[in-house]
Amino acid sequence: MMKFDAAAVSRRALIVAAAAVALSGASAYAQDGLGTPDKPVEVRMIANEAFANQWQTLMVPEFNKKYPNIKVTIDGVPYVELLAKSMLDATGPSPTYDIIIADDPWVPQLATVGALLDLKSPEVAGWTEAGYDWDDFNAAPLAAGEWDGKQYGVPLRSNMLMMFVNKSLYEQAGLPAPTSALTWDQYLEQAPKLVRDTNGDGKADVWAIDTYFVREPLTPTIWQTIMNSNGGQLLDDKGQPAFNGEAGVKALEIHKKLLEYAPTGAVSHGFSESLQAFRQGLVATMFNWGSVYKGSAIDAKTTTLKPEQVSVQVLPVGSTGPGAHRGIWNGAVSAKSEHKQAAWTVIQWLSSKEGEAWHSANLGVFPARKSTLASTPSEAWLKPVFAALQEAYDASEKGKMWRIRSPKSDAAQQVLADEISRALAGQVAPAEALNIAAEKVGKVLN
Amino acid sequence: MTTTAAMAGERKPRSRTATRLADAVSRWAFMAPAAIILAAMLAYPIFYTIEISFSRFDLMTFSAVEWVGWQNYAHVLDDYRFWSSMKVTLVYLVFALPLQIVLGFGIAFLINAEWRGRGLVRALFIIPMVVAPVVAGGIWRMILDPLWGIVNWLIGLAGFAPLDWFGDPTLAMAAIVIIDTWRWTPFVVLIATAALLALPRDIFEAAEIDGANWWSMLWSITLPLLVPIIAATFVVRWLGAVKMFDIALAATYGGPGGATNVINLFIYEEAFRSLHFAESAAMAVVVLVLTMVLTGIFLYGTRKLEERN
Repeated sequence: MMKFDAAAVSRRALIVAAAAVALSGASAYAQDGLGTPDKPVEVRMIANEAFANQWQTLMVPEFNKKYPNIKVTIDGVPYVELLAKSMLDATGPSPTYDIIIADDPWVPQLATVGALLDLKSPEVAGWTEAGYDWDDFNAAPLAAGEWDGKQYGVPLRSNMLMMFVNKSLYEQAGLPAPTSALTWDQYLEQAPKLVRDTNGDGKADVWAIDTYFVREPLTPTIWQTIMNSNGGQLLDDKGQPAFNGEAGVKALEIHKKLLEYAPTGAVSHGFSESLQAFRQGLVATMFNWGSVYKGSAIDAKTTTLKPEQVSVQVLPVGSTGPGAHRGIWNGAVSAKSEHKQAAWTVIQWLSSKEGEAWHSANLGVFPARKSTLASTPSEAWLKPVFAALQEAYDASEKGKMWRIRSPKSDAAQQVLADEISRALAGQVAPAEALNIAAEKVGKVLN
Repeated sequence: MTTTAAMAGERKPRSRTATRLADAVSRWAFMAPAAIILAAMLAYPIFYTIEISFSRFDLMTFSAVEWVGWQNYAHVLDDYRFWSSMKVTLVYLVFALPLQIVLGFGIAFLINAEWRGRGLVRALFIIPMVVAPVVAGGIWRMILDPLWGIVNWLIGLAGFAPLDWFGDPTLAMAAIVIIDTWRWTPFVVLIATAALLALPRDIFEAAEIDGANWWSMLWSITLPLLVPIIAATFVVRWLGAVKMFDIALAATYGGPGGATNVINLFIYEEAFRSLHFAESAAMAVVVLVLTMVLTGIFLYGTRKLEERN
């Protein structure tokens, strides 16, 4: 017969009661952090105007199905003003924004001024769901949110610079459709054959390529990708400019040579113009961001091309491998936010397996997680795109194909934009442009 | 009556100093609100810009933190891009300003005659001025596009080869001048029209009686009378044109190369893309000083022209 021990029961009861009180307290705290029906939490996000409205009208309602007590307001800001506005707000005594959506090279700048919360800190770890798998992210997109050994951002809109192909124009020119094994030599050999006069008026009306040639910060990414795939790097191991060597000069010469096979006036073309030319079936290839695939191949409202005409792949292979360039929009939490838990919950959900799958299926946004890329996508057209994207992530990781990681990265990128543009416009020789850029970037970074 | 006169007789006359003081106080009392608003809205930003230009700008606190003397100015003056942008700005001003003044006064002279629909044309002239510069830049980018633009299509119809408006450095500058002229000539037209209407009729009537023809009246009467207005309009347009950057940003992004990278676009990019706020402030101060000096010279010239008349 069991002996009744009143003292032991009393102690156990006390411990259970204490634990219950502690748990109820923690639960209440958690509820407060994520809001309650009576007292919802309001978080504000600053994001690129290009997708802010889409997120506000489509993503936020989806998020609120799971977290109804977190009210999210998203302010869209033009890209060129986004970094400065984010910095100005985040460094103020009481920032307006709890969530900052930062472009790939901005995380070091924002982190250095103490604007961002370390998402792997013990404080944030306590708010992170057990099933949130950090190791499931591809290394390249996750690294975009990392700086100085800390994880300040998570990939929300993963993008890679890729090669879009109009297979019909290749076929009409009697050329095989390119594969990811296509080399730069082969590409440049085929390019003249893709510049053709299709209506017999004696003037070319379809061309081989359109991409970034205009004076703007993303134009150097084309040159850099060519250089990276041929073994060149922007900076050496000591963080000094190394791009003005043989690989850099050769890459800039190739970038300039592409103009010979591009539409008239392409030296002033950038994102929109090249996209327009490709979607109108005027160019056989386009180097642009992978995220435009749906609008270029699937959506009949925005393209004249049919899905079977378009393919996407990594950029041609150089001496060390294929090319790609990373462009990740990171979700980050303001270090001074009064609603850190709620803010992290928003971007945690959007970057989770569940959120990423919804984002990809409904808004056509590219995932960063290996599991999402390996899964069967909801739309059939996404399958080859996911495969190409995985190749691009691998190429990017292998060749360190991203912009300079530094608190001064935008200043350095602007210098590169100025000099690459001068070389492309023929105002200065490629070698001279890169030497000037190297001197200036060296000063900027030091 | 007697009581009032007695009371008035008892009032001590104010001393001259007290009267002057009261006068000064009342004047300043009226001026103070405007002076305070002006100081807050105009002088403070200028002085803050000057302070930043002599300081190290800390992004952590987003403020000027350390006095560095002329270091930012030395850095700016050592940058070839600054001088290149100044040169580009000069080229733009040299072509755009005279073109706008000549066209503006010419058009005003033509539409000053009585004809049906003159009021409608005048109203339509205002449209380019109210279009946002970024929109204007974007629209003209489409109009001048070598592949899809209507201008090259018309050039093609005339049998000429298409022009690479934004790819050729000279044509890109021409495009900027054209867009700016399209936007601002109507402003000059409005001022010129008002000036023409205000000219004294009796002088023209006397000239007509003396047998002066159209050209003589234009050359010997209208233009000399309009010179002060032309000069003043030039100064107003100069002050507006020297600030231009939005059209270049929207139409050419400052390219090709740096062919249309006017100084204010360069300052904007250095500040908001490169986050070089101190260097940008130094450049802004240099531009401010140069603008003030040149404006002073223009105003002096204007006064001399007025005195001559």
